[in-house]
Amino acid sequence: MDLETALSRPVPLDRSEGILRGELLTRRAELRRSWRHLITRECLESLGALAKEVESFLSGEDAFCDWRFAVTFTWMNCNASFTDSLRAIALARKVEHRPSNTPPDRLSLANFNTLSRNERIEVLCDRYRCPLNIGLPSESDVAEELLRQLMVPDRAKLEAGKEFDVDFVLLKLNLAGVRAMMTRDLRFLDALNYFYELPRRSLVRLRASPHFLAFWLCIYGQLLCTPEW
Amino acid sequence: MRVAVIAGSIAGGLRIAREIENLPGVAVFVVVCNAGKRAPVLRWSRELLLAFRSFKWRMLATTGYRYAQLRKLIILGGRLDDETSIEHLRELQCDVGLHAANVIYREPVISAFRLGILNAHIGILPKYRGRCVAEWSVLQGDPTGETVFFIDSGIDTGDRIVLREVIPSKGWKSARALKNMLFACDARLYRKALETLMSSEFSLQSNDTSKGQRYYVMSRLFTKAVNKILATTPVTSG
Repeated sequence: MDLETALSRPVPLDRSEGILRGELLTRRAELRRSWRHLITRECLESLGALAKEVESFLSGEDAFCDWRFAVTFTWMNCNASFTDSLRAIALARKVEHRPSNTPPDRLSLANFNTLSRNERIEVLCDRYRCPLNIGLPSESDVAEELLRQLMVPDRAKLEAGKEFDVDFVLLKLNLAGVRAMMTRDLRFLDALNYFYELPRRSLVRLRASPHFLAFWLCIYGQLLCTPEW
Repeated sequence: MRVAVIAGSIAGGLRIAREIENLPGVAVFVVVCNAGKRAPVLRWSRELLLAFRSFKWRMLATTGYRYAQLRKLIILGGRLDDETSIEHLRELQCDVGLHAANVIYREPVISAFRLGILNAHIGILPKYRGRCVAEWSVLQGDPTGETVFFIDSGIDTGDRIVLREVIPSKGWKSARALKNMLFACDARLYRKALETLMSSEFSLQSNDTSKGQRYYVMSRLFTKAVNKILATTPVTSG
């Protein structure tokens, strides 16, 4: 078969999409039954007032927010903190945001990767105070770098049962999840799939950051029942 | 043209060498590196096991002996990017290296070959870089196939593509079977790439990385979906 013909020929995707959707919904049902293995009672209690909402969100009916419309914005500002905005996204609520035409300067990845761990977390939480910004086309380089870090060094550490930075890994997983929500890029969804499938002995260590862990699982739950991948 | 197969095992190197050794104007060497940095006992046990598993041990033994006698079989003791190993490679004065080892090539190794090192990548570049690209192609409804290109020190970012070939996934009922089939095409595609390089009407294609994405190891969930897609694909479809 000629290469150009093969590459340009439309491939019927209905069957593939149906199979994929079936697998995702099966995983959502499995998550509904088993999330308590990851977020234990003690972990849930440490969430305070948020505990009931997380519990009902993960155990309840499928819910998701379609954020694809936001991809057209140049940038979004918000008054809420990064954590409050991420919580709203995780629980499929409205996120307070104001579209803006003045994006911040591009983030230099070369500089970013030379920063200390705390500085990197601070830079990301500050830049993505409105977390929806990670899904914008202008943030592709940053998103790709976070995905690479998750799927290469972080994955290797977790698979080997080595020490890893719980807060930073969860922050990256949450941002990857938000990017997947907005762009429907299957690679970002699959990063969440992959980490969810990692050995339990590594995953239980994520309990050290209960809020980010809960947000990650709620975002993952939404992605699993999101149609139109 | 002087060509060196850079292999992770003698059996793997000879398999490719046999495919290309009869090409007119081509002199083939097999360079075996210790990719996994294994201890000698483990390394040679693995070599024996691989030869045994190939069910072609007699052919391997005779071919290996022939290559060794002609000093065309080079067993590297150290790492591929050791100064001694690189010196060995330079001494061969090869035009092209063929990737058949599980190693990442650094610039000094690549530049030990006049034209560079070819890689038979089991995906269509520039769209599919990285890992599990056959599975990702199936999942996203794109054609499966291979690309032979000159590597650089990045992940499938080498700019010079020699050839791309669509190899349909129909008839292969699992991701593993599909990948094994694609991996087994490397010797044939290397032969085709060398023929292409030696032809007079040949021009390299550009690997424009902005037209593709890097893919990563696939989750069990998505692999299961790929297996289902493959298992239910009618053999008559493209």
